[in-house]
Amino acid sequence: MKQKHNLSKLETIATKLRLHVVDMVAPSGQGYVQQGLGAADIFTSLYFAEASMDPTHPTWEDRDRVFLTTAHNTAIFYATLAERGFFPLDDLKTYVTDGSTLEINSSERMGPFIEATCGSLGQGLSVAIGCALSAKRQGRSSRYYVIVGDGEMQEGQIWEAAMFAGAKGLDNLCFIVDYNFVQSEGPMDLVMSLEPLMDKMTSFGFACQEVDGNDIAALLNAYETARETKGKPSFIKANTVMGKGVASLEGLMFHQLKFPPEVAASARSELEAQL
Amino acid sequence: MNTLTQLEAADFINRSFKPLPRSYGDALIEAAHADPRIVALCADLVTPTETDRFRDELSDRFHNVGIAEANMIGIAGGMARSGEIPFCHSFCAFITKRVLDQITMQAAYPNLTVKIVGFLPGVATLLGVSHQAIEDVAIMRAVPNMAIFEPSGPEYHAAMVQLALDWDGPAYVRMKRPETTPPEFTPQPLQIGKGVIRREGSDITFIAAGLCVTESLQAAQTLADIGIDARVVDMASLKPIDADLILESAAKTGAIVTVENHNIIGGLGSAVAEILADEGVGLPFKRVGIQDRFCEGGTTPYLMDKFGLNAPAIVRAAKTVMEKKK
Repeated sequence: MKQKHNLSKLETIATKLRLHVVDMVAPSGQGYVQQGLGAADIFTSLYFAEASMDPTHPTWEDRDRVFLTTAHNTAIFYATLAERGFFPLDDLKTYVTDGSTLEINSSERMGPFIEATCGSLGQGLSVAIGCALSAKRQGRSSRYYVIVGDGEMQEGQIWEAAMFAGAKGLDNLCFIVDYNFVQSEGPMDLVMSLEPLMDKMTSFGFACQEVDGNDIAALLNAYETARETKGKPSFIKANTVMGKGVASLEGLMFHQLKFPPEVAASARSELEAQL
Repeated sequence: MNTLTQLEAADFINRSFKPLPRSYGDALIEAAHADPRIVALCADLVTPTETDRFRDELSDRFHNVGIAEANMIGIAGGMARSGEIPFCHSFCAFITKRVLDQITMQAAYPNLTVKIVGFLPGVATLLGVSHQAIEDVAIMRAVPNMAIFEPSGPEYHAAMVQLALDWDGPAYVRMKRPETTPPEFTPQPLQIGKGVIRREGSDITFIAAGLCVTESLQAAQTLADIGIDARVVDMASLKPIDADLILESAAKTGAIVTVENHNIIGGLGSAVAEILADEGVGLPFKRVGIQDRFCEGGTTPYLMDKFGLNAPAIVRAAKTVMEKKK
């Protein structure tokens, strides 16, 4: 293991983020709980270990940029940003209430730490590529991380962008797919399978890795390998489990989970017990 | 007859390519030499969008993204977020209708300096309905933060680069590449939100844009012979539009005909009608343009005639409006 990071500290952060997800969605009784819990380790590893950023100076030009292109997965996204210090934790209580900037789909009206407005699926990878190209020309060493949903990869623009990044060898780009296998209408293989995804991305010119997306150490290793890869963009297939971290919800494949108070209360105490 | 060798055939073919003026492309590269933030993107239409010199002279600032317009607009958004000023190039039809969502979310909503440059406006192409943008102005006009500019001829193409740069946000330029070298002509200065009076007149005003400005000037000449004195306004700044000049023209001449190489719904005619209606101005008025129908491929003069955009059509419209004015 090449880890410089304190894994148990990161795991505690991931649990805290999951607790925020539960608390944020509980009041409305439904929302993107399962995706948030499932992606918590990706967000933790990126925002609290891998990516260079400064919450007191979010427009710092040499920052690494993280693009969440499945912009509806905001419970975990906002929890991460608030815990990282980009805005007050108290604001999380306004999640999806009228007048709040914490909308279901993240918008840059919240602040510059939302690197692009991506609610319309399939667009964020192209924006990250534009930034990555500019960084190369401007001589910056910043890295560009894009968290894409698996279902989102059905959008044609993803493949236009992937073709471009591969052809240009954009090695400052790291494309992470949150592979939780569920989209709006159900499991991906019933709607439109992406497989064989690793073969496809390899043939598009990416250096590909497949990891357990709920294993922070494995994710950190994958980012490191990506950083060390020259001449090719990186693709990380991060296999995540919906509802990860809450035993009563783990593996329940709901795109929009109904979240009655009993379930929320159980999830809350399960997570609290881990802290 | 002697047959040609392959070398001879290639020579004939090469010599038959006539270099076309690059009025826009030259202005863009001059601006880019002066401003290192300017970059150019193209979706595999380099020569038709006059970006070949840019490609050759500033290759590190030029990207042909392939036939992938959506990706191009997204990349441009990322570049603009990184302090650059990307000019994106394709045909009008593809760079507006095909990528409207990308334009709204990755250029207009974030109010980024993404410049969208389209060629083949309106009916003006042999390539037919797939390549004709007859509704692009209507669509782009409805996008907040977006400015729209249309030059009346190649002599104004260089000014398009300046207008696009002067607008601190996303801008759409629609223009037709000249097919022959234009005659010497000294253009009047263009400004954002300002129309240009190209001919003074007191009986009626033609408010025109793009290719229809020249047609309107010709129509005004014809009408002068029968005692109708027409003012001709070149509304190169379609958005923001020159409301003051529209209202002043209404007050001065008492009749307005709008003329555009676009559907009569949603474009220049609609924009002028909105200004007049908002101010409670009622007057004889007519929109010359494509009458809410799809067109076909053909030479530009043929299509301008067939779809009623040329000087004779403008004269007919003017006579109808002048009848109502009596």
